Amino acid sequence: MNTISSRTTAPGMSSLRPSLSLALSLDRLGSVVAVLIGVALFACPFVIYRANRIVAGEGRMLTDALPPPGVLIVLIAALGVASCAALVRNPLIRLAAASVGLGVIFPAVGWSAGFVTPAGNTFARVSPSLGFWLLALSFALLAADALTRLRLGPWARIAAMAAAAGAVALLLVSGAWNDLSLLKEYANRQDIFWREAGQHLWLALGSMTAACLVGLPLGILAHRVRPLRTAILQVLNIVQTIPSIALFGILIAPLGYLSAHVPLAAALGIHGIGAAPAFIALFLYSLLPVVANTVTGLNQVPAAVSDAARGMGLSARQRLCQVDLPLALPVILAGIRIVLVQNLGLATVAALIGGGGFGTFVFQGIGQTAIDLVLLGAIPTVALSFVAAITLDAIVDLTRRGS
Amino acid sequence: MIEIEHLTKRYGATIVVEDVSLRVDEGTIAVIVGTSGAGKSTLLRMINRLVEPSAGRVLIDGQDTMAIPEDELRHRIGYVIQGYGLFPHRTVAENIATVPRLLGWDKRRIAARIEELLDLFQLEPGEFAKKFPHELSGGQQQRVGVARALAAKPGLLLMDEPFGALDPVIRSKAQDDLVAIQRRLGTTIVLVTHDMNEAFQLGDRIAVMDQARLLQYDTPAQLLTHPAEAFVEQLVGTAERPFRLLSLTRVQAALEPGAADGDPILVSESLRDALSRLIWVGRDALPVVDATGAALGRVSVRGILAHGRSIA
Ligand SMILES: Nc1ncnc2c1ncn2[C@@H]1O[C@H](COP(=O)(O)OP(=O)(O)OP(=O)(O)O)[C@@H](O)[C@H]1O
Ligand SMILES: [Mg+2]
Repeated sequence: MNTISSRTTAPGMSSLRPSLSLALSLDRLGSVVAVLIGVALFACPFVIYRANRIVAGEGRMLTDALPPPGVLIVLIAALGVASCAALVRNPLIRLAAASVGLGVIFPAVGWSAGFVTPAGNTFARVSPSLGFWLLALSFALLAADALTRLRLGPWARIAAMAAAAGAVALLLVSGAWNDLSLLKEYANRQDIFWREAGQHLWLALGSMTAACLVGLPLGILAHRVRPLRTAILQVLNIVQTIPSIALFGILIAPLGYLSAHVPLAAALGIHGIGAAPAFIALFLYSLLPVVANTVTGLNQVPAAVSDAARGMGLSARQRLCQVDLPLALPVILAGIRIVLVQNLGLATVAALIGGGGFGTFVFQGIGQTAIDLVLLGAIPTVALSFVAAITLDAIVDLTRRGS
Repeated sequence: MIEIEHLTKRYGATIVVEDVSLRVDEGTIAVIVGTSGAGKSTLLRMINRLVEPSAGRVLIDGQDTMAIPEDELRHRIGYVIQGYGLFPHRTVAENIATVPRLLGWDKRRIAARIEELLDLFQLEPGEFAKKFPHELSGGQQQRVGVARALAAKPGLLLMDEPFGALDPVIRSKAQDDLVAIQRRLGTTIVLVTHDMNEAFQLGDRIAVMDQARLLQYDTPAQLLTHPAEAFVEQLVGTAERPFRLLSLTRVQAALEPGAADGDPILVSESLRDALSRLIWVGRDALPVVDATGAALGRVSVRGILAHGRSIA
């Protein structure tokens, strides 16, 4: 075991070596991934079979989950990835192996659903089980590690993300997953799904936009007027510490009053429960990151740069737009990234007070103990957060011009 | 021409610049020296109104700066600070284009000006125009800082320790280059420094400040031979005084008739350089020539020493 730890390299080191170091040396993360793959293949059920959507299910090991050729393909692919993970250092090869692995098991689990479901049985449900999830996790870990080591530029990262999204879309459109319980839940509430998706995005993006419109000027003000700065940041800090459910609760009373007594508010659809308090709560949570990062970003503008700008006769507005904001932009965008990822997650809770969004499926699913319905709400939320984080990270990198 | 009249700056009860008056003639370099905290930067920054004076006024070519809108005034005055304050998110070309753009010059004129300035400062346009400040060496950043300040052809250039961040070798070259460019463009310069050598090398006139007051404003030679106060004498350095005087005087002043052996000395060199050469080559005299190489006479150790005593 000594050799394992002493031979491992820090991330990034591998790129300095000759690119094809196929020498038989073990890699720490790779070994963990290989072990995980082994456990997933031979000790965990690949899918779960349920007689109907809410009863307890029984696990099916890989050998019972697919016809023999399928079993063979999955085995070969997974073991191939495992050996790559343990033995190959080159991140490009590791990334390719992980992608092939993912490209095999995702369709395979759909195939398995069709194989396990008795012909003509419309009540039976098949879901991916621990074995599948472990395989997906280990391949994803390997891919993520390889991507980090490759140190891709912002455009390459966006392209990689787009390729992954395209592959998922292809999988869903092709119908390969139609026999899975998750997609059956989707098929049963297709219209509602897209409505809630729209509502979720509206809550998250709308409140973020509102927070930017208010937070940016507020941040600039807080930066300029020192006494205000502490006050503003302190208030926003306190807001941030209120748990979301409590904040929704706090907002229900005044909004309820407003809708009962101000006809315009009611006409605009503002009620004590529903989307309005959710929107306002998300907006309030978003303010701190936007304001705090605007202040930090503006503070980071070097004093000599501001002095030179003033000395050359840039007006206050020109200094703000041409010097201060562009230089603060990466930090401000980092704040917006926090807000977006946070809001996409928090918007789920909005469903509790009738605000809609993907949370609707999560809480319905919990109520009905239908785990696949929970996943129908949770998976898109996580995927959206991922896309938002990667996209904004790339944008932040692109705006760091000349530093 | 700049006339500073009874300029005063107070912060609360503290007086930072006290009743300073001085005049800088067209096309000359005035250097402000003094200890840290003497009020040099504050005085300089009152000229382009980065600091509003508490009392007194500044006239540029006879016009009160208070009568000119703040931004417009600064467009007309070049400004270079220690650290240069180049815009890190903009290329060298964009940095230089800052004021011309504010003034609404057309694109072609700006491009031509950028190229002209990069050439003037010995920065190959093809290589440097598109670089970002962080890709430049300290000396290159300094040159871009001065080029940016000169972009809109200001008649007046304010410089606050513009060479402070350079190593001694590059600093001396940058100082020579500045003087050459200044002579060529005829720009009036007010420059702040800590460094007495720099003051003597660059200044047509030197202003000595201490504790908010202007102690003396005079030519380098006057400062050496007739220091107004003990502080000035101490600042110019009694031990250095004869050498500084010699470095202010051309060989012409100690020219003797006759011939001598050895490599000739240019008549435009300073007596200090001539003495240094004489000591180094171990001769009592060397021939003197003009720029065309024609023999003018000779310069001797004895002659230089005699001259040094006579001016002191
Ligand atoms: N905005 C301000 N408020 C209060 N005091 C100030 C302000 N700006 C400068 N001072 C004070 O005025 C004095 C002179 O400052 P100034 O920057 O002009 O000095 P300086 O001669 O340029 O010094 P240095 O050589 O260190 O740059 C200092 O004591 C400084 O603390
Ligand atoms: Mg200063």
